[in-house]
Amino acid sequence: MVEGRKKSRTFRRVKVKTPGGKTVTQYKRRKPSKAKCADCKAVLKGVTRALPKKMQNTPKTKKRPARAYAGVLCTKCTRKKITQKARQ
Amino acid sequence: MIETGRLCIKTAGRDAGKKCVIVEILDNKFVLIDGETRRKKCNQMHLEPLKDKIDIKKGASHADVAAEFKKIGLKARETKPKAKKVRPRRLRRSKLAGQAAAEPEDKKTKKTIQKTAKKSVKKTKKKEDKKESTSEQKKDQKD
Repeated sequence: MVEGRKKSRTFRRVKVKTPGGKTVTQYKRRKPSKAKCADCKAVLKGVTRALPKKMQNTPKTKKRPARAYAGVLCTKCTRKKITQKARQ
Repeated sequence: MIETGRLCIKTAGRDAGKKCVIVEILDNKFVLIDGETRRKKCNQMHLEPLKDKIDIKKGASHADVAAEFKKIGLKARETKPKAKKVRPRRLRRSKLAGQAAAEPEDKKTKKTIQKTAKKSVKKTKKKEDKKESTSEQKKDQKD
């Protein structure tokens, strides 16, 4: 049987040149999807997008901004939420 | 609403969601704030004014603001100045040799200095040995 990764496109294909001079296709995991705002679904800026193994070694401060609701809401929605809470 | 002593909530940046008080109005756009946030120049548009007011003077110091905040039950942000560390630094060998004689304070630096001093002694010895050996060889060749 053919391997699953060769039939489907769940793995991305990377062409790599080996030291021997051959070009070989390697099958690698795709990056996870971009982080999105929980309110307006806009793509969040400043949130790293990498495989979980790489995320383990990156410090927390490099994964998301240092704001309230960082990594969850976009800046516009955070401002809205904070102002709403203040006016209650 | 924007006046000295007005309690506000910051809506943008690192201190977003934290309470602060307007200490001074700098111009028609910027104000100086202090409190749970850092003491900073801040755009008026990044503040959400609240109903409460604190009685502080214009340009009040951080200590005054902290005392007033304590009365309300809030805690002002305190920044600790970093303690200076004494780092062991590499020096030139010629200097180290002099220092090794006059005892250094820290144990670590003492060790490193001793090590380097030993190394330098060894090196000089080797050089001398080499010189001697080469001179001897030359003599042999001559003979």
